[in-house]
Amino acid sequence: MRKTGLLYDERFLLHKTGPGHPEAPERLIVIHRALEEAGLLSKLIPIPATPAKLKWIEKVHAPRYIYRFEEACLLDLGEFDNPDNQISPQSYDTAVLAVGGILNAVDMLMQRKIDNAFCAVRPPGHHAEENRALGFCFFNNVAIAARYLQIQWKVGRIGIIDFDVHHGNGTQRVFDQDPHVFYYSIHEHPSFAYPGTGREFERGSGPGEGTTLHSTVLPGQGDDEYKRRIVHDLVPAFEEFMPDVILVSAGFDGHAEDDMSGIQLSTEIFSWMMKIILRLADQYCEGRLVSVLEGGYSLGVLPELIGNHVRLLLDLR
Amino acid sequence: MFIDRSMTRDVVTVSPDDEIDTAQTLMARYRIRHLPVIVENGLLVGIVTDRDIRSAMPSKVLSENEREDQHRRLAAMKVKDIMTRDPVTVSPAQTLQDAILMMQKVKVGAFPVVDNEGRLKGMISIRDLMRAFVNVLGLEEPGALLGIVVENKVGQMKHIVDAITEQGVSIGSILVARTWEEGKRAVFPYLLTSNISRVRNRLRELGFTLIDPMEWSLDQLPKK
Repeated sequence: MRKTGLLYDERFLLHKTGPGHPEAPERLIVIHRALEEAGLLSKLIPIPATPAKLKWIEKVHAPRYIYRFEEACLLDLGEFDNPDNQISPQSYDTAVLAVGGILNAVDMLMQRKIDNAFCAVRPPGHHAEENRALGFCFFNNVAIAARYLQIQWKVGRIGIIDFDVHHGNGTQRVFDQDPHVFYYSIHEHPSFAYPGTGREFERGSGPGEGTTLHSTVLPGQGDDEYKRRIVHDLVPAFEEFMPDVILVSAGFDGHAEDDMSGIQLSTEIFSWMMKIILRLADQYCEGRLVSVLEGGYSLGVLPELIGNHVRLLLDLR
Repeated sequence: MFIDRSMTRDVVTVSPDDEIDTAQTLMARYRIRHLPVIVENGLLVGIVTDRDIRSAMPSKVLSENEREDQHRRLAAMKVKDIMTRDPVTVSPAQTLQDAILMMQKVKVGAFPVVDNEGRLKGMISIRDLMRAFVNVLGLEEPGALLGIVVENKVGQMKHIVDAITEQGVSIGSILVARTWEEGKRAVFPYLLTSNISRVRNRLRELGFTLIDPMEWSLDQLPKK
């Protein structure tokens, strides 16, 4: 069994998105309940959520953008940058808290207090860009964590694996020219799915050429194609890149029961993918991995998917 | 959508008496395939393309002596000897639609843009048109595409737009594909939202048929 940390805080529920919005607090409620009922909660090491210092958020987002977001929440404007991004007065504090919790997870990981971690946070992050909120995302949690690993912990090579069914345009942009961060994403083909980015010919630019990789999957496809692409694309790329730490943008919206995409994945494929990812972490990172929740909106299947995910992190047989 | 808004103004040109070698060097340096040929006052007299130059080059099947002989003759040749005189041109006041349809018709990749006096004002190439259509399609804005089958009758689009607007979603672009099926059209709204399932469900409630993404085709116009 591994020492796995769990980041969860009831204050993550205070970011309210209004009735009918898929990115709802209930997502975390069902996740937390499932972990409790499966008897997993007691096996996990709690990671405290504390507000992130702004200087870390500013490694990815413009100060003006951060300020705009705070203002929009204080003024209770209801939405930010796009009607997709519903906000409540406490959304800003929640987002800052989520980032801070993830940075705590990174600290505990690097201090060897934990072997790996799952961060059950809201709001999600991978669409958020330097100056723009997109697709329910405000602060790019994983991108900030990667910058923190680079600056605070002097980690040389960071591998990001994004299996949310949507392309993480925000994360890609941040590290497009950075040869020290490899961004891999497998997602529904951009001609059919939000946000319409993440083409296969995009491989990073400038000094970062070659450290971006996209596997695009056509609507209607599922497990077989994911298996093929993970084995042919992700594994050789990471074997060559040899990351020191792996960050996972864990989105569960590619599941067949989730109506956010045309991709039809089974419950089992998520476990299969996670086993491969954990093997890469063992091979190159001494197991060091932080998984951060992105999408996944089906309250019916999230409990089982997250239960499996956490069980694999704990290495429970 | 006028050509003078989308054309390349800063055009690399040659004169009729330039050597072919000069033209070839310019094409390589600026990575272009078309060079307008102009005289005083910017008057357009022809166009030279990379293909013109390639056809003037000695063939590889020739013997060494024959090739050298041809190279010598080529060195003495000028742009005016291989250029196309009176090329097809467009005027700045024509539209991008004109340019696209003309390209399809005359099978050329770029047109010189000339004013009424025949003076060169710019070039419009497939590359310029693509840039314009990336904009029109909203390809650089985050969003998601829907495909809907509609009856070919007035008012269908209104229902679709109303349903999208009801959900508080902005529209990036809308494409309509012709000859999809007898009496039917395919409508493709590009929506600036990630929350597309809500719109999809609403359209189904209204009785619209959504197209299976794998069946989408935007190339069902009659072949010319």
